[in-house]
Amino acid sequence: MQTIKTKFFFLIAVILAICVASCAKQPKEENFIPSENAFTTDSHYIDPETALLSDGFEVCNEDFILQYYNPERSTYSEGKNGLRNFILSNYTNNNYTDSGYLNIRFVINCKGEAGRYVIHENDLDLAPKTFTKDLKDQLFELTTQLKKWNPNIIIGKNDSVSAYYDTYMYISYRIENGNITEILP
Amino acid sequence: MECFKYGMHHYQGTQESINGFAKAVEYDPTHAESWRELSIPFLKRGMPHLWKKYIDKAVELDPIAWQGYRGYNYLWFYRDYRNAIADFNATDTLTPNFTDAPQGHSVDFWRGIAYLGLKDYENSIAFFDTHIQKEIKESGEDWVEHEAFLYRGIAHYEAGNHEKALKSLNTLLKYNTDFADAKYYKALILFKECESLQLKISFEEQTRSDNLLARLMKKEKAEKQKEALKIIEEAIENFNSGYSDQRPYVETIRQLYLEDYTNLKAKLESMH
Repeated sequence: MQTIKTKFFFLIAVILAICVASCAKQPKEENFIPSENAFTTDSHYIDPETALLSDGFEVCNEDFILQYYNPERSTYSEGKNGLRNFILSNYTNNNYTDSGYLNIRFVINCKGEAGRYVIHENDLDLAPKTFTKDLKDQLFELTTQLKKWNPNIIIGKNDSVSAYYDTYMYISYRIENGNITEILP
Repeated sequence: MECFKYGMHHYQGTQESINGFAKAVEYDPTHAESWRELSIPFLKRGMPHLWKKYIDKAVELDPIAWQGYRGYNYLWFYRDYRNAIADFNATDTLTPNFTDAPQGHSVDFWRGIAYLGLKDYENSIAFFDTHIQKEIKESGEDWVEHEAFLYRGIAHYEAGNHEKALKSLNTLLKYNTDFADAKYYKALILFKECESLQLKISFEEQTRSDNLLARLMKKEKAEKQKEALKIIEEAIENFNSGYSDQRPYVETIRQLYLEDYTNLKAKLESMH
C-alpha cells in the first residue's frame, strides 16, 4: 500500500515537473524582439501625425488597412494606362539631371480617397538621396491629383463584394536624367 | 530557428514578423534566409533602401540561394535590367553546368525578358532560343512556358521581323488557343502590314489609273484586315475571360489592358 502511495506521489511530481518545464519553454513575446534597433511599427505603417496631406483625411478602420495587392488588387480609377498618361502628359523635365527612384507611399481609404503621403528618395542603386526640390514637388503634386482610387475588396460568397477596405498603396517613379522611364507597380 | 519560425508565423510585414527575423539575425547573423525574409515586405511596399539593405546581406551570405532571386526582383520591382542581368550572369559562375531557376523559371528565360526591357532584341531572342531549345530537349515543346514564345515573338516584332514573330506566336497558340496577348500581337502585325500595303496602293494609284497591282494589293489588304478583326475580337473575348498575361504585385513587361485591345480594334475598323 505504502509503495503504491509513493508511486502515486512520484507520478504526480513528474507530471507537475513536465508542466512547469513546458510552461517555461512557452515562447514569450519579448523573446522575439531584438535588443537593438527593434521595429516599433509594422513595416508599412504611415504615421498620420507626420505624413503629408493627412489633416482631414480619414480612414474607415485604423486597425485594418490592407495592402494594394492582397487579397485583390487596388487600382487607380482610370487604370494603369490612365495613371501613366496623366503623369507623363503633365510632367515636365525642367532640365533636371536627377536619376533614381522617387517613391510615394500613401493610403487609399475605403471610399477611394487618397491621403497620408510619405516620400522615399533613392538613387538608381537604391541608396538614399535627395532629388531636386522642384522635381520632387512637381511629381508629388501630380501624384496627389490622382484623386479617385479603387480600394481593395474582399470577395464574399457567390463572388459578391463584401466590403471596401482601406489600403496601403505606393507609386514608384524610375527617373533617368530627369525623365520618367518607368511607373511602378 | 525559433525566432525565424515566429517571424514566419506572423503576417508578412507586421511588427511581430519583422522583429522575429531581426531577432533571428541577432542570434545568428549568418542566417541568410532570415535576412531575405526581412527584405520582402519592404520590396512589396515600396521602400527600396530597406529592401536593398537586407537582401544584400542574404546574397552576401548565400549567393547560390539568393543572387538569382535578387536579380528577379531587380527585373520586376525596379525594372533595373542591368543589375538583374548582372545577378543572373553571376549564377552561371556560381553554379557551372547548371541552369539556375529562381522563382520557377530559368535564368535564360529571365535574361530574355531583361534584354527585351533594354530593347536589346538580339540578346533577348538568343536567350529565349536557348531556354526554349533546352526545354524542348528535356521535356518537349508542349512543356515550354507560353510566355517564352510570347516574349520572343514580341522581341522579333519590335526588331521588325514580322515573319519570325508570327512563327513564335503561332507556336504558342498551338498549345494555348485562348492566350489574348498572342492574338493581340498577331492582329497588330496584320494591322501594320495593312498600313504598309495601303502606302503601296496609294503610290500605285497615283502613278497609274487602272492598276492591276493596286487591285491585287487591295484584295490582299482586305483579307488581312478581315483576319485581323476576327483575331482581335477573339482576343478581347479571351481577355475578358481572364486569359491574359499578368503578374502579381507589379504589371508585367508590355502589359496589355482592355483599352489596348479595343483601340486596336477601332483602328482596324476605321481603316479604309
